[in-house]
Amino acid sequence: MRYLLLKKANFDDFISSLAQIEKVVAPVSRGYNSFSFAEVKSGKEITLKYIPTVLPPKKYFMPQREKLTEFNKAENSVEAILEYEKMVIFGVHTCDLAGIQCLNIVFSDKPKDINYLVRKNKLVIIGLECNDYCDQYASCKVVDNHLPNGGYDLFFTELDDSFIVHVNTGLGEEIVEKTRLFIPNDQEHLNKLEAIRARKREIFKEEVNVKHKDLVTLFNDKAFESKVWEDLDKRCVACGNCTAVCPTCYCFDILDNINLDLNTGDRTRRWDSCQTEPFAKVAGGENFRKTRGMRQRHRYFRKFRYPAERYSRYFCTGCGRCTRTCMAKISLKETVNALAAEQKYKK
Amino acid sequence: MKPRVAFFDFTCCEGCQLQMANFGEALLDILNLVDVVTFREVMSERSEDYDIAIIEGSITTDHDVERVKKIREKAKVVIAYGSCATIGGINGMKNKFDLEEIKKYVYKDGAKHFSTIPTRAVHQVIKVDYFINNCPVYPPEVIKVLKAALQGIPYEVPDYAVCVECKLNENICMYDKGITCLGPVTKAGCNSWCINNGNICYGCRGMVSNPAKNGQMDILQKYKIPLDWVVNKVDMYNKPRELEEEKPKK
Ligand code: SF4
Ligand code: SF4
Ligand code: SF4
Ligand code: SF4
Repeated sequence: MRYLLLKKANFDDFISSLAQIEKVVAPVSRGYNSFSFAEVKSGKEITLKYIPTVLPPKKYFMPQREKLTEFNKAENSVEAILEYEKMVIFGVHTCDLAGIQCLNIVFSDKPKDINYLVRKNKLVIIGLECNDYCDQYASCKVVDNHLPNGGYDLFFTELDDSFIVHVNTGLGEEIVEKTRLFIPNDQEHLNKLEAIRARKREIFKEEVNVKHKDLVTLFNDKAFESKVWEDLDKRCVACGNCTAVCPTCYCFDILDNINLDLNTGDRTRRWDSCQTEPFAKVAGGENFRKTRGMRQRHRYFRKFRYPAERYSRYFCTGCGRCTRTCMAKISLKETVNALAAEQKYKK
Repeated sequence: MKPRVAFFDFTCCEGCQLQMANFGEALLDILNLVDVVTFREVMSERSEDYDIAIIEGSITTDHDVERVKKIREKAKVVIAYGSCATIGGINGMKNKFDLEEIKKYVYKDGAKHFSTIPTRAVHQVIKVDYFINNCPVYPPEVIKVLKAALQGIPYEVPDYAVCVECKLNENICMYDKGITCLGPVTKAGCNSWCINNGNICYGCRGMVSNPAKNGQMDILQKYKIPLDWVVNKVDMYNKPRELEEEKPKK
């Protein structure tokens, strides 16, 4: 729609005035080079230069625990529950914007997930550009998420003493109007933005030895039997960290809880992980993915092949979280490269 | 008629029973549903007529074996309560030593007055219907299990790592802080209670049914952690796991 400018000197005021109108969450330092999205009241609490947070913003789109219904046995009644909270999410990197887009696609597919879709509409997204790589684990270029590609209401790019802000939606315009801190930009600022993008096209290189379009073919039927999964089988401890932190892992389990009156209760969904032992176990004790290697293989196919076939989109955003969090140091880039080497793939 | 509940303690510190007193309002709700007929820590009356036996502590003498078998005969439902009862717990550390020697070490000249057998979890001696792990027990899980028992439906202790819950709580991993943590081999269900409070996981809930031996060794090497150091940590709560094959089928 249009560009505007926010002076860095006004950033703190911007966040605090926004926080007076709406709940604002943003990346906050937790020490040990770790960050998480948390509620902030002022700009000072925010770390603008951060590596991807422990959990992605998906925690606001699909909460770890979400009540779906409440029931009453004696009255034989069930009531649908919709839990949501209005909020502004500030500082979402382009990889995480892509993650949210993936979730939107899945939860809009049939059958539509009404709870998700209603909640999503209450969330305002303010993106924040990475002018450089966050760290060595990122692979956002090969999946084409290093540059903004929509999915935000406002998008901030840091220039010298200001942010150039792309206003993308009506909700974005509302924030501009309510906070009254944005000023018109000059051509000079647009030139600087273009220079940043040009530099990024130089720095960001396909992080694996495979071209973007060939990733899907790498995960072919033969790759199903690859030695790579045997190696991961020996190393993975099935801690489920890689799926919890992944912006596009959305598997859930549904549980019924009864209250202590043994009459009323609720049905709740909570995050689940395909990496755990019981995930693929069914009645009778049969387990469809018995080994950790099979479960890792599933995770990778679930990022690079199945969604590519169904939604024409990779469900890896390149955020690098799975590699960063893995105590066994299983690396997404190494796994992809090992598959490519095994198949004698040439770029 | 409300189900009659009796508490029993074997070798333990009775801290898990004490946890009951910390339940606050939920305790009143529980007392609406059951009659507590025996609970040495809070009442002097006792009854031999009960439906649900909640057993705290591990089995460490022949006398314990006889006593716990009698409880099983009388109770319709047996709940093992706390780490000592569910996995043997820290009492299991004595299984690392020659029993006669360790007895002399502890009781000196008095040793001849005591008999001792290797520490066992309750289910290694009698059939157990419900397990409430943790040292001390984690109140939300106690309530979950009691509700399951009162409805006559099973309660499954999660058979995946504490890490699963830990990541949901968005804790910074202890390994990232350069500290070893038993979360990856320990059964979840405590909502990563210790890590949420700045502590490591000590493995008090027992090990997952299929811990990744290779993977763990690999991690220890990567982080340069000596194996026996970790084995000692695991054994602090989990030594009696070695007696698992002996457990009664019925
Ligand atoms: S984080 Fe690493 S060890 Fe844990 S389940 Fe994922 S790949 Fe396996
Ligand atoms: S697979 Fe790994 S790098 Fe890809 S989106 Fe998930 S967490 Fe990020
Ligand atoms: S993976 Fe790419 S887009 Fe995501 S934080 Fe790192 S540099 Fe930014
Ligand atoms: S702190 Fe411990 S329980 Fe938490 S993720 Fe790390 S190893 Fe697992």
